Amino acid sequence: MNSWPKVVVTGIGMVTSIGTGRESFWNALLAGRCGFGPVKGFDTSRYNVHVGAEIHDFKPEDYVRHLCGETIGRSSQLAIAAARLALSDASLDLSGTDLEHAGVCAGTTSGEPQFIEHFDDHYVQGDLKKVGREFITRYPCHVVPCHVAMELGFAGETLMIPTACAAGNYAIAHASDLLRAGRASIMLAGGADSFSRITYTGFARLGAIAPEVCQPFDRQRKGMVPGEGAAFLVLERMEDAKARGARVYCEVAGYGLSCDAHHMTAAHPQGEGAAQAIRTALEQSGLGPEEVDYISAHGTGTSTNDRLETIAVKRSFGQYAYQVPISSIKSMLGHTMGAASAIEATVCALAITEGRIPPTVNWRERDPECDLDYVPNVARKRHVRVAMNNAYAFGGNNSSLVFRASTA
Amino acid sequence: MRKRVVITGTGVICSLGDSPSDLHASLCNGMASCYQFDESASNGFRGNGSGKIGSFQAESYLKGKNLRPLDRTAQLVVSAAKLALDDSEWAPERLSANPAGLVLGTMFGSVHTIGKFDRHAVQQGPACASPMDFANTVINAAAGQTAIWHNLRGLNSTIASGSASGLAALRYATDLIRFGGQKAILAGGADEFCFESFCGFERAGMLHGSDEPGTFPVPFHSGRTGFVVGEAAGLLMLEERESALDRGARILAEVLGHGSKYDCSGGERAARSIACAMQEALQDGEISPEHVGCISASANGSVGTDRDEAVAITSVFNGKTPAVPVTAIKSMIGETLGAAGSLQTIDMVETLRGCTLPGIRGLAENDPLLPRLNCSVAARDIKRSPALINSIGLDGNACSLLIAGCSALS
Repeated sequence: MNSWPKVVVTGIGMVTSIGTGRESFWNALLAGRCGFGPVKGFDTSRYNVHVGAEIHDFKPEDYVRHLCGETIGRSSQLAIAAARLALSDASLDLSGTDLEHAGVCAGTTSGEPQFIEHFDDHYVQGDLKKVGREFITRYPCHVVPCHVAMELGFAGETLMIPTACAAGNYAIAHASDLLRAGRASIMLAGGADSFSRITYTGFARLGAIAPEVCQPFDRQRKGMVPGEGAAFLVLERMEDAKARGARVYCEVAGYGLSCDAHHMTAAHPQGEGAAQAIRTALEQSGLGPEEVDYISAHGTGTSTNDRLETIAVKRSFGQYAYQVPISSIKSMLGHTMGAASAIEATVCALAITEGRIPPTVNWRERDPECDLDYVPNVARKRHVRVAMNNAYAFGGNNSSLVFRASTA
Repeated sequence: MRKRVVITGTGVICSLGDSPSDLHASLCNGMASCYQFDESASNGFRGNGSGKIGSFQAESYLKGKNLRPLDRTAQLVVSAAKLALDDSEWAPERLSANPAGLVLGTMFGSVHTIGKFDRHAVQQGPACASPMDFANTVINAAAGQTAIWHNLRGLNSTIASGSASGLAALRYATDLIRFGGQKAILAGGADEFCFESFCGFERAGMLHGSDEPGTFPVPFHSGRTGFVVGEAAGLLMLEERESALDRGARILAEVLGHGSKYDCSGGERAARSIACAMQEALQDGEISPEHVGCISASANGSVGTDRDEAVAITSVFNGKTPAVPVTAIKSMIGETLGAAGSLQTIDMVETLRGCTLPGIRGLAENDPLLPRLNCSVAARDIKRSPALINSIGLDGNACSLLIAGCSALS
């Protein structure tokens, strides 16, 4: 890959339960603020858990200018907001951009779940005639990047990669490939998921939702907290970014993707696929394990994920695993599904430029099986030259992205 | 260095059979899919030719393991994968030593599984929701299930681009081999027929308008009113050429190039966007329009997208004589959504092997309001020149893929 053009991050934008836009989000992260609260999106009275990480103050009309904001789904609204914030952060003047080479690549778990949920409500009530045109035109998950492209006038490749909870990483990896191959000159890459009854029900049924807070890597951890959000990164080739005098956050140095081929919902018991993804990402980046200064963990807060992720980091980093700081922002945002790894990628970019690592909050008791440095409770100053972003998903999908401080 | 990408095997489960040669023969004979529509579960809706592949039984392909965790989409994909792995001679021992990847294009994953899971929880309470169904509610479930079944431990990804998903998956996999160091990826697409998606298309007025026997959608015809929705899975084994030659693989075809554009105007510039995708594929494959031997069109009987595609083909190929022959296999197999682009590609591989291009069933005359294309009702002989495959989504995604048959390779 070394002979290929370098791809850099020149803008980031996110909508989350603890803050919207770079400054507000980053300050909330460093302060350890949590976005958890009672679920308002639907009635949870028949559930044995009631906590979620929803975004309560989002106004689509602040961001959706050309499309009809009320008719598109919430994931599209969140995605458009994150994309606009990222473009503005990149100080990118679209009037001088070749829009036929400007593309959108997004990841998601559920796409626009409320449309199938409405369909199901009509079905249950025996009233399918109430299903309108919007179900087929607004539900399928690929409409999310299409809506972003349509709103912004982007006419290049527009693609959804629905690889569940690792989808944001897959989208960023693919977008950087498109730039390296010369198929695009600007890519918006990221992920979006809106709060979903279906997802909540599923994780509740699996007993995977924590009753109150998410506390990754803690001995008493009780599970994840479903959330929602969106993030996009503006990616460009280094030479283009330099030519327009753009501020560069970091370089997308490489990635590793693998599949456990083991179980749909449970990770490989020895973290085999996850360790393979880490090794491939380092190899592709031309970096050794000791050069990684920060790992943004998948860290969902479930008993199994955190234990197996720890094993995978130890397998691929050896003794250095005990020295590299690892943190999970899901301790604050909950699990934003397909958006999670995209949001976490923006955290890697910020850690590199700001020299700070956000904490894993709600951490109280050391788990003998999770005995690494998880940056407990308090943000940390550290010069971060290389950051790794890990994300795992149903289907046995493993992904690791490596970001590196830009050198040229 | 850009690597070359070859096709070493194909697998298909569709309404015209489960072998690429049967599919191609049926298409050349102008045979129509006979989809089965379940009236008892239709809630008063009429199929108008849409439906399931009646004859599909996963048990006849998949033996020795429990099929219960697989929903219908996954059963279609795991079965097609089995056929493609057999066809390309990737035995379990080879897969064990050399991790192969999987890239699946799908429009819905299984919206039936998603809906069923949700309705069950709504009606019976969340405590009664099925954990097994939940695992399959993720859109990448079929890709995950297929990887587990066949031990595909390489890269695993799912691509959604509406009814262009299958071709988008082939493009994505091609670039991963060309530029990303991957050696072997099973790629293609699938969607099941289910009431949920059918109902959506029906309510949106997108389906073929008449349920009179003998009527069917005819792409590019003046009387077209919409498409019939079917189901299928189609997968192709894509390999890096040198490593395929090293293992002595039989090479069926080569992927020369591809392109994609999005119509962000929501309609008026759609034809231009399709033309740009086709031109990008030709440039990427370093082939000029006059050297293209035939086109497999995406046209499915829809009023707008058929028109836009006809305009785009004419604008890219106008003045090239004799006009390039065009087929549209959705006249026979219907709109199979995420599978469509992979079925078209599999049929083009067969077309280039035998140099016979299927006709367009029922197209006695091109719609006079459209630019005139070189179409024919009957199958016809063509030159063994590179073939262009178009796949156009219902909402502005346009993809093109350019392939060459094996004797054209050097």
